[in-house]
Amino acid sequence: MIAFIVRRLLVTVLLLVIVSMITFAIFFLVPRLAGQTSFELASQYVGRNPSPAAIRAVEQKLGFDQPLVVQYGRFVKGIVLGAHYNAGPDKTYCPPPCFGYSFRNQQPVWPMLMSNLPVTASLAVGAAILWLAGGITIGVISALRRGTLFDRFSMGIALAGVSLPIFFTGLIALQLFSYNWAIFPDLQYVGLTDNPIAWARNLILPWVTLAFLYAALYARLTRAGMLETMSEDYIRTARAKGLPERTVIVKHGLRAALTPIVTIFGIDLGLLLGGAVLTEFTFSLHGLGLFTILAIQNNDLPEILGVVMLTAFFVVIANLIVDVLYAFVDPRVRY
Amino acid sequence: MNRNRKLGFAALGLAAAFGIAACGESGAPQSSQGNQYNAAIGNTVRPSSTSGGTITFDNSSVPDSTDPGNTYYANQWNVIRLYGRTLVTYKSQPGAAGNQLTPDLATSMGQVSADGLTWTYHLKPGLKFEDGTAITSKDVKYAVERSYAKDVLPNGPGYYSLLLKDPNYPGPYKDKAPDKLGLTSVTTPNDTTIVFHLQKPFADFDYVAALPQTVPVPPAKDKGANYQLHPVSSGPYKFQSYQLDKQYTLVKNPQWKASTDPNRKQLANKIVFKLNVNADTIDNNLLHGFADVDVAGTGVQAAARAEILSTPRLKNNADNALSGFLWFTYINSKVKPLDNVHCRRAVEYAADKVAYQTAYGGPVAGGQIASTVLTPNIVGYKKFDLYEALSKPHGDLTKARQELQACGQPNGFSTTMAFRSDRPKEKATATAEQEALSRVGIKLTLQGYPSGKYFTNFAGVPNYVHQHDLGLAVGGWAPDWPDGYGMLYYVTAGPAIQAAGNTNIGELNNPQVNQMFEKAVATKNATDRNKIWSQIDHKVMEEAVILPGVYAKSLLYRSPDLTNVFVHNYYAMYNYSTLGKK
Repeated sequence: MIAFIVRRLLVTVLLLVIVSMITFAIFFLVPRLAGQTSFELASQYVGRNPSPAAIRAVEQKLGFDQPLVVQYGRFVKGIVLGAHYNAGPDKTYCPPPCFGYSFRNQQPVWPMLMSNLPVTASLAVGAAILWLAGGITIGVISALRRGTLFDRFSMGIALAGVSLPIFFTGLIALQLFSYNWAIFPDLQYVGLTDNPIAWARNLILPWVTLAFLYAALYARLTRAGMLETMSEDYIRTARAKGLPERTVIVKHGLRAALTPIVTIFGIDLGLLLGGAVLTEFTFSLHGLGLFTILAIQNNDLPEILGVVMLTAFFVVIANLIVDVLYAFVDPRVRY
Repeated sequence: MNRNRKLGFAALGLAAAFGIAACGESGAPQSSQGNQYNAAIGNTVRPSSTSGGTITFDNSSVPDSTDPGNTYYANQWNVIRLYGRTLVTYKSQPGAAGNQLTPDLATSMGQVSADGLTWTYHLKPGLKFEDGTAITSKDVKYAVERSYAKDVLPNGPGYYSLLLKDPNYPGPYKDKAPDKLGLTSVTTPNDTTIVFHLQKPFADFDYVAALPQTVPVPPAKDKGANYQLHPVSSGPYKFQSYQLDKQYTLVKNPQWKASTDPNRKQLANKIVFKLNVNADTIDNNLLHGFADVDVAGTGVQAAARAEILSTPRLKNNADNALSGFLWFTYINSKVKPLDNVHCRRAVEYAADKVAYQTAYGGPVAGGQIASTVLTPNIVGYKKFDLYEALSKPHGDLTKARQELQACGQPNGFSTTMAFRSDRPKEKATATAEQEALSRVGIKLTLQGYPSGKYFTNFAGVPNYVHQHDLGLAVGGWAPDWPDGYGMLYYVTAGPAIQAAGNTNIGELNNPQVNQMFEKAVATKNATDRNKIWSQIDHKVMEEAVILPGVYAKSLLYRSPDLTNVFVHNYYAMYNYSTLGKK
């Protein structure tokens, strides 16, 4: 198992290098191929009516005037060894992993990513607990009570949850619970360690909104998986052996049905840790999702590179964890 | 300046004629208890000296920088007055007075030499930074020097390097002088005197001295790109904390003296700026009392607008103010057949101005139909209507056909109209005018471009414009200061034409216009100068290189919890430096 994990970690590093190269090429190489000069690129990062001298100064400062290979090499070097940055009166040191400095506010990208991460992690993990608990429970009950009113009702709600976009459900939730009834007024993120109660109170609406979407999806997946599993021969055998129904459902039915759920959960959680873009935007949560929007709006290449790399890292690591979890969920994997 | 921009002059008659002010738009500032639609236009609502409380500003984005030397956003220039003082500033008064400059750090307005090449300012005694050290002329000079360091502080305007001698000064970070004060075109004979030496006369220099780049910066405290995290205050508030992209908080600066500063108040105990708040959430926060001000000052979103206008209680706390922008269409004077002035005038006559206004959101959210390049709140504005935009707002097709005849295109012609594809209002404008101009046979091919590269790569590159037959291009402008130079120069002056990043897209290079600009900037008498701005406006419209669309307006929501609220003519939003909390 350890060799497996080490091997996967090495592949992860390779994958991240490839992701960084592709992302770098998209934002630095493609514009050049399309005919954009480094001067034109630099002009986007200067104020209104800049003089050519001002654009040249920014072009040199941001290193656009150097070959792409040099620019990429500097980026990688910064991640591994750190980098020095000309802040004006002095040079500031950005320790590794240094993802460069924002073109927009000239601050190091990595600390900004890290300051946003707790918000996204709080949102993603809290919502994941809710949707796993809610989605799987409803899915199992629906499968066991197939065709009943509960099944139809819950699957109807699930369909709505999958269909309704977060910027709709989120705004409705805000309007009702934050403004009209003022149950959760003036929402803003408070750190878990600063005030756990305020942290939870202010995240309940985003959690529920985000979980509503995913719970719906997981309920439908669980129901489908359970229906298929519960019709397997070994379930009939388990019942024939006289096992209690609870054991049959949980230990033999649900456990097998969970395997594809775990796979999807790994990808979903990994992606969300890279930024729950719509939820964060709707609820004005300063996480990686909102950071991503701002980075794209401002064409801030170091910020975009940083968030893409971090998201890729989370997805890859989440998948690694899922692969490890497989061994526990489905013992057949171990043989 | 980006986004919102300045307003200017709006005298009583104009205000009444345009329906801007519901009351009190007279020369003398007035006050009111509010609770009326447009009450804060021309009046101070709920004047009060009550102190205490926290004012919350919501911002749907982030400032380009909180460093006074590195910002070009109008709303940030308004915010900066809370923690930074300039040599001169705009009067904190409602109505037309807001366009007038008044001494701030300086004892008087700039004293100009007989040849117009030297401007001198003397600092008031007893001015201090937040740490208690004295503010000297050297701190102001150093702040001006920072505007040359474009590699480190790229966002701010570049007027000093354009106007002053020694234009190649590299900025203080590359300055070889031991004290980093090597800019020879600015001298400081003593700690309270600063002298600017210009390349040639520039009568508007006081406006340049009002830019945030004269907010003093103590050289020892300058951290370059990191100075934005805690600019050293010279105003009534100072930075307490700053979480980048999230929030910053200002608290009272005990070193600030009200006796030296009639343009600011120090009423609230704390001012909190929340950043990156969803725009619709900001509106809801305002309407439900969770926020006091929308920093952007560009008005509420469509949903809140509908709610406010349909609810009397809310409408009474709203102001439909001019936003400072003119939205218009450039008509290129070099692209055939528009190089013939009669073809350009045909476009002016045939355009449907009501459709233009509708594309921008109608009279409340969009603005009022424009007939000039100068907007009604600009110093020097004089109303005229050469192409019947106001009398025949749907267009005068008869005169349009006559002009087409005169330009040798009786059946019309074809050209391309550029717009920013990620701006729905511009796209709607282009579509509307395509239909309007087709009525006289002018066929438009619409071509959208990304806004980030609109000026740098496409519409702002004359060679590209000529090669791709971009006869028309949708655009907009808001001036850096509220007079004819700020509004007209960069969109109509020949010397302003650039190979890339060009904003004179009409490519007007008329000797008469250029000469009038030169005359204006050398004219010391403001009244005479302002007459020239109007003459330039008239000449530009005769040349028909700009099709005015709307004088932009926005619907601002005035929090009932705030005191001393008024729309500032220059900033074109509520004045932030005097606000208090009930």
